[in-house]
Amino acid sequence: MLFFRSEEMVMAWCRARGVTPRPIVSIPQLWGLATQWYSTRLEPNARRPGPAEMREIFARLGLTGSFWDPQADAFGA
Amino acid sequence: MEQPALDFDTRVKLAIYRYFAQTGQRPSSAEIAEHVGAKADEVREAFGRLRANRVLFLEPDGETIRMAPPFSGVPTQHRVLVDDREYVANCAWDALGIIAALHEPGTVISTCAQSGERLELQVGANGPALSDWVFHCLVPASRWWTDLVFT
Repeated sequence: MLFFRSEEMVMAWCRARGVTPRPIVSIPQLWGLATQWYSTRLEPNARRPGPAEMREIFARLGLTGSFWDPQADAFGA
Repeated sequence: MEQPALDFDTRVKLAIYRYFAQTGQRPSSAEIAEHVGAKADEVREAFGRLRANRVLFLEPDGETIRMAPPFSGVPTQHRVLVDDREYVANCAWDALGIIAALHEPGTVISTCAQSGERLELQVGANGPALSDWVFHCLVPASRWWTDLVFT
């Protein structure tokens, strides 16, 4: 889970390693993930989102498809 | 209204997270034992249960904290500055996660994984400053915990 200067840098990084590029996430989307996952982390009732909640969070942020499915049996590259 | 007493594992978890938040460093099991007023063995057992519940990720010795997401117990390329405190994040997501968890403005310092260009991202109460940097994760969500260090 890495930062890149641009989508072109992601493609170059993947080419250099012979791996398939995955979905690109913008900084505002990443902030949405960060707040959904961690904004209550220092509180007694903090908990990790379950699979259904994860899907809802991803969908709200526009992150859809099998890559973002926490229970996908097989991920189609 | 009086709050119900917290169970032991929750007290241990909160002590770990508050230690990270206050110091930026990982606590030892002995430090947590002192904080919660328990024996070190009891705390080590709680660490194991928290690992099983995916709250912590431990080093092979079974008691040294490698990750208490979003905090990292070891150096990485992702750092976060908040006031005069410095934190280490496990990944790009967790770098923003530290600021979200602390509810304080801060600065994420990292690099482009391809070019090495430095990222210095200001994050305020309403989120990050406008940025055209991007985030990329190679591992699909269903496999994030298969190899958490790689992820």
